[in-house]
Amino acid sequence: MNNRRLPGLLLVSPLLLVLLLVFVAPVLLMAPLSLHEYLPGTGVSQQWTLANYTDIVTDEYFREVVLRTLALGFGVTAICLVLGYPLAYYIANAGPTMRLTLTMLVIFPMLLNLVVRSFGWIALLANRGLVNNLLIDVGLIERPIKMMFNLFGLLVGMSHIFLPFMVLMLVPAIQAIPKDVQAAAYTLAASRARVFWSVTLPMSAPGILSGSILVFVLTISALVTPRMLGGPTYKVMATLIYDDFLQTLDWPAGAAMSFVLTGLTLLVIGLSSRVLRRWGGTA
Amino acid sequence: MPALTLERLEKRYPGHTAAASVSLSINDGEFVSLVGPSGCGKTTVLRMVAGLIQPTSGRILIDGRDVTGLPANQRKIGLVFQSYALFPHMSVFDNVAFGLRRQGVEGRDLKQRVEEALAGVRLSGYVDRLPRQLSGGQQQRVAVARSIAPRPSILLFDEPLSNLDAALRDEMQIELKRLQRGVGITTLFVTHDQGEAMSMSDRVCVLADGVVQQFGTPEEIYHRPATGFVAGFIGRPNRLSGRLLRPAGQVALVQIENGPRLAVAAAEGIDDGAAVDVVVRQEDIRFAASHDTPGHAIDGRIALRSFIGSRVQYVVALGGIEVIAEAPTNGLHAGLDVGMAVRIAVAPEHVYVNAARALEAA
Repeated sequence: MNNRRLPGLLLVSPLLLVLLLVFVAPVLLMAPLSLHEYLPGTGVSQQWTLANYTDIVTDEYFREVVLRTLALGFGVTAICLVLGYPLAYYIANAGPTMRLTLTMLVIFPMLLNLVVRSFGWIALLANRGLVNNLLIDVGLIERPIKMMFNLFGLLVGMSHIFLPFMVLMLVPAIQAIPKDVQAAAYTLAASRARVFWSVTLPMSAPGILSGSILVFVLTISALVTPRMLGGPTYKVMATLIYDDFLQTLDWPAGAAMSFVLTGLTLLVIGLSSRVLRRWGGTA
Repeated sequence: MPALTLERLEKRYPGHTAAASVSLSINDGEFVSLVGPSGCGKTTVLRMVAGLIQPTSGRILIDGRDVTGLPANQRKIGLVFQSYALFPHMSVFDNVAFGLRRQGVEGRDLKQRVEEALAGVRLSGYVDRLPRQLSGGQQQRVAVARSIAPRPSILLFDEPLSNLDAALRDEMQIELKRLQRGVGITTLFVTHDQGEAMSMSDRVCVLADGVVQQFGTPEEIYHRPATGFVAGFIGRPNRLSGRLLRPAGQVALVQIENGPRLAVAAAEGIDDGAAVDVVVRQEDIRFAASHDTPGHAIDGRIALRSFIGSRVQYVVALGGIEVIAEAPTNGLHAGLDVGMAVRIAVAPEHVYVNAARALEAA
């Protein structure tokens, strides 16, 4: 082995060892598991089969869960981007005191327990929750609107929970855009809106992409919030996997679903980094 | 009618004044430099002209029209930044086309104007490159083409050559000047480099602490500096301190601290016995022949000799002080050795005195 590589290897080896032991090994063990059938009452059969994977594609229920998870991922990412960008833009251009204050406010919700924050949304969105009660009292509606156990509830709750990640990724990207470049566009007779669309926005593309990847991956793999706001019936892939493993004990199906989820995640990251490479050097 | 007029332009920030009552009038097609040490307010003035900074008071007129209240995007100015400030995600073509597109130039017209502008900076054939694929000098030329293409009424430069190495800087100075002459565009050029300002400009405005020290041709600035600051900033100065003496019936003298006495031609408004800052340029010190009249010559000794190329630089010890003097390489005094006794002389009109105040020249 090359002598220069040794210190580097030694530095990463503790983490590498832990990851190999508790992450890579279980994954490798799960791979064959996903290729067997689960027989209720007996356990995992010895027969090899691809049924667990084909089911995900052919079974309408599984297909819906996968599509729902993806829709949720893209939806939450889009909402976080639309809500987060103006805030990040403001923070990036604010004075030092304002910047610190706002950054603290953005981080603050993350200090609260995830369960507490999700439960807060139950209190707000339930049939007899604050929002419905208010709308009924005001007279806008007669019967409560269903805002939980559906896509709407999950979008709202998870956008709230993952918004800080998006903002924290966007702020440094926007700050890194040289002021001179925007001033140059401005002196070339561009309107404020034109400066934003033609210069600021494309130059913050790396931040937009990394923020979006982060939020997307966190969303499609989230368990607690979908569990609480989706209830036992409105499932996403993560909650389905959880139930397979701990409720129905159908480990093979859960393992297969896990690999599909991992595959989707890797696919999205791979596609995005290709886009990023094409935009490379933009900031 | 002047192309650009600044009327008592002021910019005050809490605790300091960046520009104090700056008044300038620049003729059509003229190349004017704003020069001064860092923090003298030259960039502030430039950015006020560009519309990127709002003045506290005063007026800016372009072609006789008051533009003080106009935002930068309506002033029809071109600005070239020290950092180039190119759009990194756009090709050279799109960079140069940016301002033209804002004017509604399209299609074949656009293509032609962009190519024209790029040809002007000798970058034809680079249209498809991205800025990061170009060298620093090339990037700066794209920036120049970008600001010239929309045919602005005023072209502003903010230390455009400071990021380039010395050889490239000399080349770009000549190229920029030639381009400016060719296009005939009124230009305001900000720099901290007095040599650059002198060599490129029709007129130079020396700025210190936000105040205009002198505004004139390079020759005027060099030969008749209005203040001690200008004398100390332009050329290669020796800075000394001393005391002014006014013997009755004689020319004024300055007694250099721990050094000789020098005759002074102009010392208006300075009292007898007042502490003064003295500036004597290296190139104004003359080596006198030994048979010169002893009256104005000063005896000294060569302490150090450096060969610069076109000239030889000597450190000359005069009593308790040292001054730097220089002689042309091909002249009589190019071969003096360290330790040799010499006599030097300075014409009274080349001794610049100023009531004592820390000279802040770079």
